[in-house]
Formats: sequence, C-alpha cells, structure tokens
Amino acid sequence: MFMYKDRFIAGINWLGIVVVVFVGLAWEAAVRSGLLEYEYLPAPSAVGLGFAELASQGILAPDIAHTLISVAIGWTVAIVLGISLGFLLGLSPTARRYSLASIEVLRPMPGVAFAPVGLLLFGFSLKTEMVVMILPVLWPVLVNTVGGVSGVHQGLYDVGRTFRLSRKDTILHIIMPAAMPPIVVGARISLGLALVLAVVAEMVGNPEGLGYGIVREQQALRPDLMFAYIVTVGLVGIALNAGMLALAQALFPSFRQLRSGR
Amino acid sequence: MIRISLWRQYFRLVVEALPSARGMLPLVALLGVWQLLQTGDSPYFPAPSDWWDGLMLLAKSGRLYSALLATTITLLLGLGLAILIGTGMGLVIGVFPRLSRAFGPLLEFLRAIPPPAVVPVAILFMGYDERMKLTVVVLAAIWPVLLNTSSAAERVHPLLLDVAHSFRLSAFDRIRLIILPSAVPAILLGVRVALPIAIVVTLLVEMLTSIEGIGALMIGAQRNFQSSQVYGLLVLIGLFGLLVNNAFAVFEAILLHRWPPKAQSRNL
Repeated sequence: MFMYKDRFIAGINWLGIVVVVFVGLAWEAAVRSGLLEYEYLPAPSAVGLGFAELASQGILAPDIAHTLISVAIGWTVAIVLGISLGFLLGLSPTARRYSLASIEVLRPMPGVAFAPVGLLLFGFSLKTEMVVMILPVLWPVLVNTVGGVSGVHQGLYDVGRTFRLSRKDTILHIIMPAAMPPIVVGARISLGLALVLAVVAEMVGNPEGLGYGIVREQQALRPDLMFAYIVTVGLVGIALNAGMLALAQALFPSFRQLRSGR
Repeated sequence: MIRISLWRQYFRLVVEALPSARGMLPLVALLGVWQLLQTGDSPYFPAPSDWWDGLMLLAKSGRLYSALLATTITLLLGLGLAILIGTGMGLVIGVFPRLSRAFGPLLEFLRAIPPPAVVPVAILFMGYDERMKLTVVVLAAIWPVLLNTSSAAERVHPLLLDVAHSFRLSAFDRIRLIILPSAVPAILLGVRVALPIAIVVTLLVEMLTSIEGIGALMIGAQRNFQSSQVYGLLVLIGLFGLLVNNAFAVFEAILLHRWPPKAQSRNL
C-alpha cells in the first residue's frame, strides 16, 4: 500500500504542473499589467469569476445537461446501430462485399455538412443535432465491429466446431468475446466524437447547450464567459473519457489495450 | 526501366485505394429509389436529379467555383502550416525529454478542448477575415501532428541514437538524419487524423461567419430554402472529402513504400 502511494506521488509530473501554474500566472500578470494588448483576452481570474457567474445564474448546469443528453442519445443510437450493422457485415462476406465501398464513400463526409440539411428538415431542434451527429459517431463503432467480428481467429471457430456449438452459441460465446476489445475501443472514440459534434451542432444547428453558450457569449462580447464555457467543454470531455475508461475496465478487467484507441 | 516499374507500382497503389464498384450498390440503390419515389417538387426531399440542377445553377452564377477554390486554399494552406509548425514543435519537444515532461500536462489539456470551440475565440480576437479562417484551421489541425511527432521523436530506437553518437553528429544533424526520418510514419498518421478535423473546422467557420467558401454557400442555400442546392452541395462536400482523403492515402502509401519495412508494418 505504501509503495503504491510512494510510486503514485513520484509519478506526479511536478514540473508539468509548475509549468501550467506558471503559464496561468504569467497570463494573469500580462493581462493585468496591460502587456498583452488584445482587447478581448480575459485573465484566468476573470474566467474563474465567469464560471461563478454562470453557475450562480443557473445557466451552466442546464447547458451541461443538454449537451450530455444529446451526447447520450447520439452515442447510444450509434452504438446500437453500429454494433448490429457491424455484426451483420462482419459475419457475412457477401454483405460486406456489397456495401463496404458505400461506407468508404460516406465515411469522409464531414458532420457539419449535415447541419444545413438538418436545419432544412427539422429547424433548430434536437433532431437537427442528431442529423449532424449520427453518421460521424457511427463510423468508429461500425468499422471496429466489422473488423473485430471478421477478424476472429480461425482457430477459435475450430474450437466452436469441436464443441458442436450452434450458430447462436458460436456468436455468443466465441465471436462476441473475441470482438469485444475493438468494439469497446470504437465506442470510446465515438464518445469523444459525440461531444465534439454535439458542440458543433449546438453552434450551428440548435441554440442550446454548451456549444451555443460559447457562440452566445462571443456575440455578447463576454470573453470571460466564453472561455468559461470552453474550459467546461474540455472538462466534460476529460470526464467522459475517464468515465468510459473506468467503465470498460470494470466490465472487461482482462484487457489493457484500450489506451491504444486514441 | 526501374522508373517505369516504380510508376506501375504507384498506379497499383492508386487502384487499390479505390473502392470496388459492386460495394457501391446500397448507395446507388438508395439514390435510385429516392429518384423514382420523388416525382413532384419537394421542399424537403428533392429528387437527386434536382440536386444536379441546383448545383448547375450555382455554377452558372460563378459562386460555386470561387467558393470551392476558397475552401480548398484554406484547407491546404492550413494543413500545410499545421504540418510544418506541428512537426517542428513536436521534434523540439520530443528531442528534449525535460521539455516534453514540462509541457506534457499543458498540451494534454489544450488537446482536450474540442477543435471547433476555437472558432468563436478566433472570431472574437481576429474578426471576420481570411486570416482568422486560416488561423483556426491551423490551431485545430496542429495537435495530432504535434503530439504524434513528439512521441515518435521520444521513442526513436536507442540503437539509432548510438549510431548518431558514434558518428559524432551535431544535434541538428541528429534531428535531420535520424530522428526526423524515423518519425515520418508517425507524422503521416498525425496528418491523417488532422485531415478530417481540418475539413470540419473549415466548413464550420464558413457556416458561422459566412466568409466565402462551400460552408457559407451551403448555409446560405438553407436560409433561402434552396433544398436542391443544399443536397447538391452535401454531395459535393462528400466527394471533396473522399478525394482529399484518398489523395492523402495514396501519397502516404507512396511515401511509406520506400520506408523501412519495420515502420511500414507498424503503421499500415
């Protein structure tokens, strides 16, 4: 226990923390002394006060909630669609042959480009956000599932045949466990993308949530509040990623290659 | 003779990068059914043949070409600058371990901020102009390149560094002859990640600020309820993304083709 604690303290990057603090202080000093001439650059302390202002007015929490809800919806849809379609394509070489090129053509499609289509169909709404989010968030799960399912080692299939497993049991007990690591990696990449796209969609497609908060405060010429929103988005991203890692490690303690998913 | 066979190999790489035709079936079927079902004028789901007419209308007015040109220039210039600056900074940070330890947490935090969040900041600081658009693209695309370069420069094989030591290479020559070449596959991987980010951010800036470009054209068409133009531009952007991505994949394959086999197997 003690050794673990010691190693933990030694593992802390003190130099890095000092640099972060120093940059923050230098920024503060430069803005206060008027050294930095930018009209709209708030000092870190002003951003902190902005946080407090947003929180006390009760705007921040609903905005975070809205963004998290759209992330949750988009991510869930992407995972359900991605895994089911991925299994279909992964298990059937014919289906793969007759659709992989379509996926490759659609995949580089940037999510923002769907914003005007969503606006055309649904106006400013959560549905527009979904139109922007679904496809880009779907791809990592879908592609990783197809790769994971179709890449199951032939030896494992042979084991299944030796045990005379039914098709259902083969899928449940052989393919699913073998394909799980890449699927979880795909789901993790998708979660990060979902947040980015939710913010983008809120900037152009749905005036709500953290993304709109950033744009709104920019237009209101309140850079302190704008930076508070941006920092919030960054923190939400870090929290989501950490949560996903913890969840994956709790569900599948046996594999450690999740970190390579970046 | 060797030249010719090399070009043939490149040609083969290009062909392999293209998707096979029969895999296009679902997409073609979808568009075909859409075309057949949609007979009248629909404000929401215009038939694919109308998309073409919408695009042609834009092309005739001359706005399509200038917008496409503006978007392409911003994208390529922004990516180019991001690669130059990102590789340079990444090499410096990666070569000196203290520097990477010192700036690690700061860079990690900056990376955690979604690239699109930079757009409003840049608008506020720099106003609505081309310079701002370019800055945003560079700021968004630089992180994957920088972080990949620095981690690759940190992990150069110790044996190679011993070679540099034996030859008494200067620090500059060590970077130029040993570290940079062994970091190239990682740099390319970073660019591959940066590419879609750069496209998304370019379009987003154009949509938010209406600075000339495909994004501005698209949001304009949407505001005027020119649905056929919106869909036409969507297809155009899709083709644009596909072209840029595949062009880079071919470029990457050609570059890595001549790279040490170890580097190739690690990244392809």
